[in-house]
Amino acid sequence: MASATVQDAGTSPARQAHWSVRLAEFLDAHAGRPPRDKTARLAWARAFHADLEEAHLAAPGWPAEAGGMGLDLGDQIAYHQQMTAARAPRHPCGLSFIVAPTLIRHGTPEQKERYLRPLLRADEFWCQGFSEPGAGSDLTSLTTRAERVGDAYVVNGQKLWTTMAHLADWMFALIRTGPAGPGGAGISYLLISMKSEGITVRPLKDISGGTHFSEVYFDDVRVPVGNLVGEEGGGWAIARTSLGHERATAFLSDEFRYRRVVSELHRLAKTSGAADDPVVRQDLARIEASVRVLASNSRRALDAVLEGRDPGPAASVNRLVRAEFDQRLHEVALRVVGPDAVLGQREPTAPEGGRWTYGYLMSRSSTIGAGTAEIQRNTIAEKVLGLPSWRKEA
Amino acid sequence: MSAVSDRNDEHDELRKVVRAFLEHASPSSEVRRLAETDEGYDPEVWRRLADELGLVGLIVPERFGGAGAGAAELAVVMAEMGRTLLCAPYLSSAVLAPAALLESGDETACAEFLPDIADGSVIATLAVAEGNSDIRDLDAVWTTARADGDRHLLFGTKERVTDGYAAGLLLTVARTEKGLSLFAVDPEAVERRPLPALDPTRKLARVHFDRTPARLIGAEGAAEGAVARVLDLGAVALAAEQAGGAERCLELSVEYAKTREQFGRPIGAFQAIKHKCAELLYEVESAKAAAQDAARLWSAAAAASEQGLAASVARAYCSETYVHAAAETIQIHGGIGYTWEHDAHLYLRRAKSSALLLGSTSWHLERVAADIGLVPTA
Repeated sequence: MASATVQDAGTSPARQAHWSVRLAEFLDAHAGRPPRDKTARLAWARAFHADLEEAHLAAPGWPAEAGGMGLDLGDQIAYHQQMTAARAPRHPCGLSFIVAPTLIRHGTPEQKERYLRPLLRADEFWCQGFSEPGAGSDLTSLTTRAERVGDAYVVNGQKLWTTMAHLADWMFALIRTGPAGPGGAGISYLLISMKSEGITVRPLKDISGGTHFSEVYFDDVRVPVGNLVGEEGGGWAIARTSLGHERATAFLSDEFRYRRVVSELHRLAKTSGAADDPVVRQDLARIEASVRVLASNSRRALDAVLEGRDPGPAASVNRLVRAEFDQRLHEVALRVVGPDAVLGQREPTAPEGGRWTYGYLMSRSSTIGAGTAEIQRNTIAEKVLGLPSWRKEA
Repeated sequence: MSAVSDRNDEHDELRKVVRAFLEHASPSSEVRRLAETDEGYDPEVWRRLADELGLVGLIVPERFGGAGAGAAELAVVMAEMGRTLLCAPYLSSAVLAPAALLESGDETACAEFLPDIADGSVIATLAVAEGNSDIRDLDAVWTTARADGDRHLLFGTKERVTDGYAAGLLLTVARTEKGLSLFAVDPEAVERRPLPALDPTRKLARVHFDRTPARLIGAEGAAEGAVARVLDLGAVALAAEQAGGAERCLELSVEYAKTREQFGRPIGAFQAIKHKCAELLYEVESAKAAAQDAARLWSAAAAASEQGLAASVARAYCSETYVHAAAETIQIHGGIGYTWEHDAHLYLRRAKSSALLLGSTSWHLERVAADIGLVPTA
């Protein structure tokens, strides 16, 4: 699909040849199946991304001065297609790409120098310290606080649902440094070493039985003032920084993934005979229609961005659409799998290693993590449709 | 980049022109007046659509007196018509009938009929469905054509013929020994009856052939593939109309939610209403994207299989979205939304009726399943 978009984008063939030829060579040299063992697979992905950075083929959308390739959007799309087609491993720490745009835009030269390269190389992993036991959807009510003592902030409190905390080297965190007020006043954006004294990480088992997130306790944790990003008390405003285009292309790589997963589900339906059931067949057709509509939606937003127009409401609804699609996909998938979908992953006879049952459980988080679907609907209704605020103050 | 920009600029311009015209020519009062008539359109508005805006011959090639535009432009126009519930034989006479003539490959018939269709002087339609069968089920066509000298005689009954009562030229499919064939019939020679309908803003008729003289269009027995293509193009156009109608429903709902107050606040401040609106926004935006994408594929002369699949994806998605949007519009409006005087029911009628015309959602989903290789093994 994106070949037409790329053509429309008028990508300069000479320039594309330059990096895409290098990328093709790189991917050829790094071809191979991922190791089956989980630890080995992680090491393999890390090595891949370190080499990628070494070859100046990482971060297509970042500016060159931040260590990226500075490609325009059309080229970024082609880049992601090339990576997906080669089944290149995804960066093992997706959260890194939430902190990176903030550092690129609001970080000091020292901070960029220190953090960006190890982040790209996957030498250092990041986790996000936003949610707390008392601050979920209502994030600005967070109470983990820092007091300035000499040249350090002393942090006390607790973060929750911290994905990858047990593997992370650093946390980017929203910490209260002043009294609460409207617009997230008094919140600062701090970079905290996970190796600091006074940090306790307690992994939490999630719905799947795995440990993808943790509780993180702070007990007089000292954070050098040099690790403040932006102004003290100005953290809320910069926490949502993105590079615009980055977001657009991130959707694309999601989309390529969904396309692949849906095709894999079709294959299963054909071999298992599930497609003989007319109800399942209609549901599968609906999933196919949805994945195509997702593609149409992105194409529309991307076309607009490529032409320098406002992508409009399409872009703001994308996340919600994807979250719900993910859940519907897995609901249908379990019906395609059939009765053996009740088997757990550790049962060797579970169809396709139990991946669909596992995915079904995991998909429940897609309407909760990083802003619940309800909060997203509020935001869409207020920011895009202009409906009045639901808060009583109005 | 420039080709895409130019195309989008042109579409924006076309959208503005059509919207401005329809806001004036198709207000609710006119929709309601025409809904009460058998013909269901205003001849003066139809003439202006043809002469001033050049929209009736939009997809007719220039050599036959049309504008020679593609499905992408057609989608822009249909979306606008859907927004205002325009009462006019546009789907019949500007989409289905000309597409059927063009697909037939019958140059003589095209030269004879298309210029009058394109300039709006003759209203044409395509009659396919029979009994209570889906229009896409061409095996259910039982109407027969018997050769009679240099013409044929038709026997059978066509159901739910859009604008069948107002039409001055009737194209239809009937079976001969060689298979499904396309015919042109003078409507004066048939028995036809306007049908009271769920959606009074799109007119339907029953057409009865009994030894009705008909002229063969294109090759005998060659209509099956051609009619399927015509109905696919119709599906693309109708999907765009549905997306436009759904978009208008959302606007009506949001406007109302901002102004209607209960418990001392606009009801749009309550999350129960807010979430419905947000939900509709993502469905409407997705529907618009799907319809535009299908139209783009038709304009770009993509592979026929891709076009058919895209048409069905768009139709399935837009049908469900429009019905949902219209139903929620009534819900968000509360009691007033359930009254005859409010337009919400006109949108619901159009939405539900459109979802059933030109192939049901089940039919389109089954087609999607077949096209991706999900067919019963038995």
